[in-house]
Amino acid sequence: MLEVSGLSAAYGAVAALEDVHLRVAGDQVVCLLGANGAGKTTTLNCISGIVPVRRGRVLFEGEDVTNRLPEQIVRRGVVQVPEGREIFPRLSVEDNLRLGGWTQRRHRSWRDDLARVHDLFPRLRERAHQPAGTLSGGEQQMLMVGRALMARPRLLMFDEPSLGLSPLLVRQLFAIIARIHRAGLPILLVEQNARIALAASAYGYILENGEITLHGPADRLAADARVRHAYLGG
Amino acid sequence: MLMLKLLQAAASGVVTGCIYAMIALSVVIIYKATEIVNFAGGELVMVGAWLGLLLVGYFGLPRPVMLLAVPVVLFVLGAAFDRLALGRIARRRPSRRLEHATLVVATIGLSNLLKGAVRGIPYTQEVRRLPPLIGGAPIFVGDVVLERQDLAIVALAAVVMLALWAFFRYTLPGKALRATSQNARAAALVGIPVAGMRMSVWGLAASLSGLAGVMLAPKLLLTPDMGDVVTLAFAAAIIGGFTSLPGCVVGGAILGIMQNLVGTFIAPQAIAVTPFFVIMLVLLLRPQGLFGDTVGVRRV
Ligand SMILES: Nc1ncnc2c1ncn2[C@@H]1O[C@H](COP(=O)(O)OP(=O)(O)OP(=O)(O)O)[C@@H](O)[C@H]1O
Ligand SMILES: [Mg+2]
Repeated sequence: MLEVSGLSAAYGAVAALEDVHLRVAGDQVVCLLGANGAGKTTTLNCISGIVPVRRGRVLFEGEDVTNRLPEQIVRRGVVQVPEGREIFPRLSVEDNLRLGGWTQRRHRSWRDDLARVHDLFPRLRERAHQPAGTLSGGEQQMLMVGRALMARPRLLMFDEPSLGLSPLLVRQLFAIIARIHRAGLPILLVEQNARIALAASAYGYILENGEITLHGPADRLAADARVRHAYLGG
Repeated sequence: MLMLKLLQAAASGVVTGCIYAMIALSVVIIYKATEIVNFAGGELVMVGAWLGLLLVGYFGLPRPVMLLAVPVVLFVLGAAFDRLALGRIARRRPSRRLEHATLVVATIGLSNLLKGAVRGIPYTQEVRRLPPLIGGAPIFVGDVVLERQDLAIVALAAVVMLALWAFFRYTLPGKALRATSQNARAAALVGIPVAGMRMSVWGLAASLSGLAGVMLAPKLLLTPDMGDVVTLAFAAAIIGGFTSLPGCVVGGAILGIMQNLVGTFIAPQAIAVTPFFVIMLVLLLRPQGLFGDTVGVRRV
């Protein structure tokens, strides 16, 4: 489905990624774990066409999408829920969602898509007409997930969705991620919270200083002494 | 008598104010979308004016055709400048700070380029004036005299500005442009073609300036230097807060009216300094401008 091979990227002269390989198979949740500055966001942004790929390839559904424009990648169905609060603060919640469906705007079905997102996140229906910047942090996170779904993704990438959310909200969000996945969507999940990410995933990769140092089935990683020591607190 | 003078000055002020507002809108939509102050805004006005004159006075086209052709040609010009000059510089990406400075300097380059190009056309060697957009006897409202052409200018400006407002507020492409200027990263991530959006903003801004030129042309002598009028548009934009579209309209109107009042009641020579007094007054009372965002203004 998604296959990243030999990926290298740099910011100016500073290398950020070195020879990264990873795969997400058709029906999996795969997680990418790593400490601050390991290069997780850079990896997703290379896939999304936001950060240029220096070396290596990104294949999606057998097609080479390396260094395509972001809009071409979204149109192919690779959609990212970014880290932080990357919304359109002065547009209404509903307009934020509609713009999520920008690449699908010629399809008549955007109303159905919107209704589905509203069913998944009833709060976004209640808040439809207020500026997105007035939503709480958790609601903004929901909005970004809803916005990504409006693009009719075929692969969804999450960048640290748990960041800044209360434990209750994290649980709710991961329940929704599981629901989206059960509906047939493969997911690439970037997290620092290794415990919850490994519990949600079938397979995992560990990224350290821009390189993949370990990968394997999630249960095997969760049992691995090095992972337990560095990411699961003992 | 005093009342009449006041009303007459206000009426003339609204007319020039509309034109300032259109140029200010052109500058501000580029600023909002790209954080670049377009120093070629005035030259786009000048090119629009000359193009209008050329189409009507030289090629003998009917005026409605000219009124459509000028914004279309200017749209292409603005979009092409973004694509060919700014886009290239941005792709090189030396560093963010340097890039921004380079882009602003590129607009100064465009300003000189356009001035030079217009000077190079033999037709522009003579000082000319565009014949009135519509003729006919002036209309009296009470004792206030209104030129038909001024009414046409105000009506045209009102239609254009309303259309612009509706476009940004109600259409999906308009919302996509706003989204891009609020958060370009997020816009790219939802699949909005950010470079294309920026190009359209430049095109749109250039058409606004060009139309303003056509509106200004019958009221002024045409010269390759007439783009200096942009100073007044900057003033209007600053009064309005520099990031607010309604601010441009209100700022333009205030400025136009103030200039006329000063010209009528104080001295015609004082007109030139009026904008600076208005700016200082507004900025003293409201540092963020009348409609500006309070974010970004730091109190020291
Ligand atoms: N725009 C940028 N310019 C320069 N260096 C950058 C830029 N973005 C990231 N970096 C550097 O690249 C490295 C990888 O950053 P990245 O954001 O991918 O890490 P991350 O794993 O997502 O970290 P976090 O968990 O803190 O989000 C870091 O050393 C960072 O300082
Ligand atoms: Mg990150």
